[in-house]
Amino acid sequence: MNCSNWETETKLPLVTSCKQAARLFSLSLERKLTIREYIVMRVHLFMCKTCTFYGNQVKALRAIFIRHEEVLSNTPVSSDDQLSDKAKMKIKKSLMSNDDLS
Amino acid sequence: MKPQYRESSEKSVSLDPEQWVDAYGDYLFRYAMMRLRNRDLAENIVQETFLAALKGRKSFGGRSAERTWMIGILKHKIIDHYRKDFRERPVTDLQVMQTDEEQTIDGFYDALENPKKYPKDWMPDQQAILNAKDFWEVFHGCLGYLPAKTAHAFTMRELDDMQTADICKELGISPTNLWVMLHRARLQLRECLERNWFDIKK
Repeated sequence: MNCSNWETETKLPLVTSCKQAARLFSLSLERKLTIREYIVMRVHLFMCKTCTFYGNQVKALRAIFIRHEEVLSNTPVSSDDQLSDKAKMKIKKSLMSNDDLS
Repeated sequence: MKPQYRESSEKSVSLDPEQWVDAYGDYLFRYAMMRLRNRDLAENIVQETFLAALKGRKSFGGRSAERTWMIGILKHKIIDHYRKDFRERPVTDLQVMQTDEEQTIDGFYDALENPKKYPKDWMPDQQAILNAKDFWEVFHGCLGYLPAKTAHAFTMRELDDMQTADICKELGISPTNLWVMLHRARLQLRECLERNWFDIKK
């Protein structure tokens, strides 16, 4: 699998739809856009207020998601969100038996 | 030599393996559940993580907090799990997946390629959200609406900050496959969060 082998959007009209603009926006988060792709996306965003909301929201959410581990360790555990006692016993047993071997 | 003050607090806790399960079990389990969404699978992978930690204990040497070290092992186990899962799929299966992603994306737009529901005007407050426990419940709920593979790809990209090329190698899919998955995930998650959080909390 060649992981740098990107398809490029060659037949883009200068004025494009919200659907196409959102695709280009996602693409811009994965690789550098071609000049044509970049201009087409910018032109759309310039004209379209809701797509600008969309882009800013997706970007802001990304900045939050990346910090999710801080939250994972702060949040208290709810009852259905923890290892069952049975599983804990099982794991403890397997740890003990493997520790003896080493 | 200068003393390393910054590391000392991280290093301090190092428990006996007998205490691991009680100290870290639930934390690792919650993380595994978020990623795997299957209790049995999550329990097994937590057990595997502890066993691997037991083996690697001597080489660990307290370079980071013990829990951080274990989460690292767990992440690798989860990636291994999905790697097998992806690789064992026939090519046609991946094509079906791709078609499904494209259809879902299409479903967000009308015939003129305008959004069926226009995004509303809101911006998330980063600090407030990091402190809001229920936001993360909503987020996990929304992530749960995605197919497990899509959620996994999205998680590696957006939560673990892995590079696109690495994820695509990991999953054995083309960059275009991956990009379409991520795009679908972004569209769907943004809308789900708007409907269930931002539109309500404003």
